Amino acid sequence: MIAATGLSMVFGSHPALDALDVAVPPGVTGLVGANGAGKTTFMSIVLGLRTPTSGTVSVLGLDPLRQGAELRANVGYGPERNVFPDDMPASDFVKHLAEVRGMPRGEARSRASDALWLVGLGEERFRALGTMSTGQRQRVKLAQAIAADPSLVLLDEPTDGLDPVQRDEMLALIRQISEDYQIDVMLSSHLLEEVERICDNVVALDAGRLVAQGRLDDLVGDVEGVTVELAEIDDVPGSIDDVSARLRAAGLEVHHGPGLSRMDVLGASADEVADAVRDAIVDSRARVRRIEQRRRKLEDLFEAVQA
Amino acid sequence: MTADGHAQILDRGYRKYDGKRSGLVGAVRSTAWHSARSVLGLGRKARHKIAPVLVIIVAMLPAITYVGFAALLGGDEFVNDFLEGVVPAFSELPRGSLAAIVLFTGLVAPEALVRDRRDGMLSLYLSTPLTRRTYILAKVIAVGGLMSLVVLVPTIFYLLGMTFASLGPDGFGDWITVLIRIIVSGVLASLVYALISMAAASVTDRRAFASLAVILTMMGALIVIQILVEGADLSVNWRLLDPVNMPMEMIGRIFGDPGDYPEIGSERIYASNAGWAGASLGLLWWRYRKAGA
Repeated sequence: MIAATGLSMVFGSHPALDALDVAVPPGVTGLVGANGAGKTTFMSIVLGLRTPTSGTVSVLGLDPLRQGAELRANVGYGPERNVFPDDMPASDFVKHLAEVRGMPRGEARSRASDALWLVGLGEERFRALGTMSTGQRQRVKLAQAIAADPSLVLLDEPTDGLDPVQRDEMLALIRQISEDYQIDVMLSSHLLEEVERICDNVVALDAGRLVAQGRLDDLVGDVEGVTVELAEIDDVPGSIDDVSARLRAAGLEVHHGPGLSRMDVLGASADEVADAVRDAIVDSRARVRRIEQRRRKLEDLFEAVQA
Repeated sequence: MTADGHAQILDRGYRKYDGKRSGLVGAVRSTAWHSARSVLGLGRKARHKIAPVLVIIVAMLPAITYVGFAALLGGDEFVNDFLEGVVPAFSELPRGSLAAIVLFTGLVAPEALVRDRRDGMLSLYLSTPLTRRTYILAKVIAVGGLMSLVVLVPTIFYLLGMTFASLGPDGFGDWITVLIRIIVSGVLASLVYALISMAAASVTDRRAFASLAVILTMMGALIVIQILVEGADLSVNWRLLDPVNMPMEMIGRIFGDPGDYPEIGSERIYASNAGWAGASLGLLWWRYRKAGA
């Protein structure tokens, strides 16, 4: 779907992207990274709106710089910026952008209506954009991005400004347009948890550099230890620190801040870690509040890079 | 209802589309049409329609007045001879609407350009098949088309009205020649006004300032040149830098009239208009070369 080789973008002396080699397969792909990681710059290059300082990129088999117009007729885009023509009804807005993306006028009108119904704004489609809530505006952005039936949709921070319920609904919608209508999606987000929930693939950036890429299942989810939460008991003071010390002495990697009751224990084998934790708790006479398998998360990838 | 009289629910819903796409031409056409509608306040609240409609009516007034007089008084050969001496030539009519034309430039270009930059539409447009060049092309078509409502349409109305009042050009051949001259001169003058006002409007992201910039560019240059030529006795060629009168002068030259400044050659008048159009397009392109990325 997207392939980049040696992709660099430098603004003045600041490298926004640093020699990225990226291959994104079809499906829902999360482009993750902190603010300023280079996500929006990467999307701009993918759309052919910026010329990279060096490197090449191919999107849907097309060169965004040479075949930009042809490419963008098949790509929907939902920008991060949440500003719209306030006095324009949502249906007119979506219809107009569908027309600009190549839909004949009559078809654009019906597709605008269908897209707005799909994102849950069917009853609100004639309302002016300026009277809509942030959640509704995010849905309008999604509707305009899909109205012209693109092959690929790029969504820049599509859950920005949404409350938890709205966020869940938006993520479900994004997953739905990929599964039900075979539209590939690349969404940028700085919220790793939401990417883990709906994405098939991940491209992780940090300060313009590639941190990780690949199928989400390959990158996260492996059991790599145990997370245990202990309770301090009055007659056995220091039992939590004692558990931590015993596990370290057994050669395991323990992430445990002083005075905290929760610790992450990592080791070569999940079973070995579980046994060691059990023994340490028993020997220290600590009280267990919670114990669970620790699965690798995207956050761990970023922490490893920063470490 | 179906043919056999049964009720039927047609739930089309969102679906894939395999039909024909209109491509870049459709994108330019849709953007130009949408911009023109937006400037005229169509599909918007009534208050957005007031200013453009008012200015268009003011621009039409001279043509309506003369056609009205011709329709009411004309018919008699003696009166017609008198009216022919009183009513303006087709090349002179647009000058009667000059104030409305300048006002319209201050209204149209800022509305067509600045709104897109302020409300995020520009970056959305550039995510479609439109490029910066084709986006500007769409806007030039929109603004130029709208300018023709005050530059070209009144003269066409004047031609039709005078023709019905038996005061139009003699014979079909002359009539067609006049019509072609009206259209060519009107389109070119509208284009020059459109480009100058768009370039002036592109310097700021605030609509009110953009309107001010357009009016100041037009009227400021006009006043300064008037002072230079008539007050400081400088060469009449300084008038070539006048963005308000040069398109009007070009209209006269296309009709073969000597115009208001017969001492300036026609080729210089055309060059002045081409220069204003080229410089404006250059500034416009320079302002938009990185916009919306």
